[in-house]
Amino acid sequence: MKGYRRYFVGKFLWFCITLVAAFILNFTLPRLMPGDPVAAIVSRLAQGMSNTTGVQAIYEQYAELFGTNRPMLEQFVLYLRNVAQGNFGFSFSQYPRTVADVLRASLWWTIILQFPAIIVGWIVGNTLGAMAAYRKGGFDKVLMPISIFMSSLPAFGMAVVLLVLFGVTLKWLPTSGGYGFDLIPNLSGRFIWSMFVHYQLPFWSIVLVTIGGQAIGMRSMAIYELNADYVRYSRFMGIKDRKIVGYVFRNAVLPQITGLALAIGTMVSGALVAEIIFSYPGLGTTLLTAIRGQDYPLISATTLIITIMVLVANFAIEILYGFLDPRIKAAQAD
Amino acid sequence: MKNKNRISFIILGLLLVLSLVALSACGTSTPPVEENPAEAAPTVEVAAPTEEVAPTEAAPAEEVAPTEEAAPAEEPAPTEEVAPTEEAAPAEEPAMEEADPNALPRNETLYFNGQQWGSVVGWNPYSNSNNNAMAIAQQDNARVLMFESPYVYNMLDGKTYPLLADGPFEWNADRTEITFKLNPAAHWSDGTPVTAEDVAYTWATHVKYNTPTGASNVDYIEDIVAVDDQTVTVKAKLNDAGAAVNPLIVEAYLSANYVIQKAWTQTLEERVGEDATQLLADPAEDVVFSGPYHKYFADDSKVVMVRDDNYWGQDASMWGKLPVPTYLAHTIFKDNAAGTTALQAGEVDVSQQFNSNVQDLWEKDGLPISTYLPDPPYQIGASLPTAFYNLESPGLDQVAVRKAIAIAVDYPTIIANAMTNQSATFDQVPRSLMNPTAGEQALFDHEAVADLQWVGNDIEGAKALLDEAGIVDNDGDGWREYNGENLHYIATCPNGWSDWQAAIEVVAAAGKEIGIDITTNYPEWSVYQTIVTKSDAPLPEGYDIFMMWSDGAGPTQPWSRIRHLLSSEFIGMASNWNGNWGKYSNPDVDALIQAIPNETDPDALKEMYTELVQMYLTDVPSFTLMYRPQSFHTVNESVWTNFPFDGDGTNPPVPPLDLMDGWGVAGLYNLELVNP
Repeated sequence: MKGYRRYFVGKFLWFCITLVAAFILNFTLPRLMPGDPVAAIVSRLAQGMSNTTGVQAIYEQYAELFGTNRPMLEQFVLYLRNVAQGNFGFSFSQYPRTVADVLRASLWWTIILQFPAIIVGWIVGNTLGAMAAYRKGGFDKVLMPISIFMSSLPAFGMAVVLLVLFGVTLKWLPTSGGYGFDLIPNLSGRFIWSMFVHYQLPFWSIVLVTIGGQAIGMRSMAIYELNADYVRYSRFMGIKDRKIVGYVFRNAVLPQITGLALAIGTMVSGALVAEIIFSYPGLGTTLLTAIRGQDYPLISATTLIITIMVLVANFAIEILYGFLDPRIKAAQAD
Repeated sequence: MKNKNRISFIILGLLLVLSLVALSACGTSTPPVEENPAEAAPTVEVAAPTEEVAPTEAAPAEEVAPTEEAAPAEEPAPTEEVAPTEEAAPAEEPAMEEADPNALPRNETLYFNGQQWGSVVGWNPYSNSNNNAMAIAQQDNARVLMFESPYVYNMLDGKTYPLLADGPFEWNADRTEITFKLNPAAHWSDGTPVTAEDVAYTWATHVKYNTPTGASNVDYIEDIVAVDDQTVTVKAKLNDAGAAVNPLIVEAYLSANYVIQKAWTQTLEERVGEDATQLLADPAEDVVFSGPYHKYFADDSKVVMVRDDNYWGQDASMWGKLPVPTYLAHTIFKDNAAGTTALQAGEVDVSQQFNSNVQDLWEKDGLPISTYLPDPPYQIGASLPTAFYNLESPGLDQVAVRKAIAIAVDYPTIIANAMTNQSATFDQVPRSLMNPTAGEQALFDHEAVADLQWVGNDIEGAKALLDEAGIVDNDGDGWREYNGENLHYIATCPNGWSDWQAAIEVVAAAGKEIGIDITTNYPEWSVYQTIVTKSDAPLPEGYDIFMMWSDGAGPTQPWSRIRHLLSSEFIGMASNWNGNWGKYSNPDVDALIQAIPNETDPDALKEMYTELVQMYLTDVPSFTLMYRPQSFHTVNESVWTNFPFDGDGTNPPVPPLDLMDGWGVAGLYNLELVNP
């Protein structure tokens, strides 16, 4: 148990250091972009204004409100203090909405679309990959080309194919939105059904691409493991097939888990394609418009979420590794 | 053994999928409800969580349902749609909850696209940053769905018509004051009458808190006062000579700006402690309005407005009835492609977005879709997207170079590619400073400027012009030189503005034809706009030729467009959102721009405008690349019909402004159902 503790503490320390570094970068990098976000806001307010003083006054008012006229260090201290209180401030591009409000409205859509899609794609992909490696033969010969085809299709390609096929041509599924264009969100059966139906195309556009990649990776890993000495030795020992497959799967799945952690961590940005093509609500497009509009607080908050999600996912994986594979813990703790 | 394993895997996977889907469905429906507890389904809410879990899990089993449910737009779905119509129609506000509050009956809802991009931020008529395209747009053709201006402008005949006002407004003899009366029938959504005091207080508030409206008019309007309950006087600011500084802008105020209720404004002021920043940042969910529609629902994926059946305009003195659709809904699409797909599917009735090759929708796809004009240019052009020269770039200070590039450009290609022919060509509407509307075209002497106009593609003419000016290729490298330097320019516009980018590419190609090296560069809009609008410093490298817009149609046009294109008064502004970004300065032009607003004699005006066009086409400080409509106006007649079209016989004619801007709102009263 002592080994575990050292392992955890070490990991946690690195986790904190990375978080601090990422936090500083999240704050700094957007602000290094060329251009002036306050000018963009003034542009909305000042169209048609012909008196210099009026426009200048508006500019200064908003520069003061958002603090962009202060030195970067002072801005950072302010930001730090506000974030500590859970306050991300106003979104520049959607002023006077607050960042928290923008995120609250869109984060759920992203998580609900991406998380199940990634998990399902991962589970199905790995299962198929392991089965292909183990069963070989016809199953493998059919599955592999399909997997390679699907994984080499870019996400937007898959999305457009699905959209045209099932949305436009066959008209089985709706082409855009998170729920029926004629509905108002509520908890009626009709609305939930509509959400379910609208969920399908974006969901499968992510799942199908994920399945292909995962299946290929898992198959290679499993083939490698199946030929390992311990498998042959186990066979000689007369250990049951089922038990051997269990060992094989556990060993082969390790690198795949890292991939899963990263996929979950970066799902916010990964949602962009599905969101744009299906006009699905979510954080991906929010981030895109934030970057285009130089919305520093919104960019910082979104990237902070991504950072924390990646870190937490990685941390969780490292911990999980410790249990899954005692060798890693042992190596790290030494 | 193997099979067992496989089956267990599959079962496990399926179970996971199902549980996650169920989870997701339950989870998502919560946030929107939280956001708007008042609007979203008040009756269902309480019982919801426990009861509603079941349908989600049950859903996948009902395999038959999805096809029917998923495509409600396809057919007007007779059985489903009739019921809500009957329920909702005779009822007023309270009864709406009895009808299915969660579904918008297709036969009562008019769907839009191309207006609202991103979520609505607020409903505050004092602010410009509500991102609320359906409700708030104080502009030349003010959007009068929720808030109303005293008058509305009709870009087709160039006249203003009373809305909240009663009868036309009148100038006094000196043209220093406008007086108008309010319609006694006009009342607010809370039932109280719209009074002159409201008009005066709105102005006072704009000035007191330096709102965008206040700041942009305070140099021209001295005060707005209530003479009695119904009578308003607008006092113009006077110049040293005792004349109004700008009577045109004073007049335009009446059709561009909303009247906001005094009582509500006072509530707002109290709420924000009379703080200007907070006043503008207030989302104003409680705002009192006078227009026929108001907020029903808004979230990240749509905004819906519902008709106020108590709207004053049903009085015989105004429209005599209510607008036809009960709901106006706008799905928030992420890009034009998604919007076009929805238009094709019949999920959008009125499209205010650029639908590339719009004619294919009816010619090839055979859809019941049409534009205001049946043939190219399909739309009525109103604004003039323009390429500006940086007049400080070496060589571009020479008229010969500017004119040579401008006459060499292949405009038909721009119009065909960038606008897919949704712009009049320069053969149809020869270039000037006016938009293609009849009213503006009548304002100048066409013959007097005819030999100055060009239609483009004149490579030989351009070469001759340069040769004549001595700007030739001396060192034989293929590029002409000026002062010993090769002529090299960078043409630019914002990245991702694909129609503009297509146009800029054509401009660059023209340069190469005549020995001027023009390359292109596309910075992000956030960078581009910061640089272009900074008129107190020289434009940096990379901005030799750049695109910006010009004004559309409105009561101050074409004067205001000309001012924004040519007036030197904007040079030196730190944040110049007006125009003349290339920094053209010509005292004769300035003098004419100064004089026009106070000129009332039509003949003198025509002479002055003609002179301006002559100077513009001679000096070429910038040049029009295409004509662009005020609003794109494409309609799908699957559900609704009787939309405005060219020659529809309406009098006054309803302009193609998507049934919401200026006099265009009149179109809402003429709509009919295809299948009543």
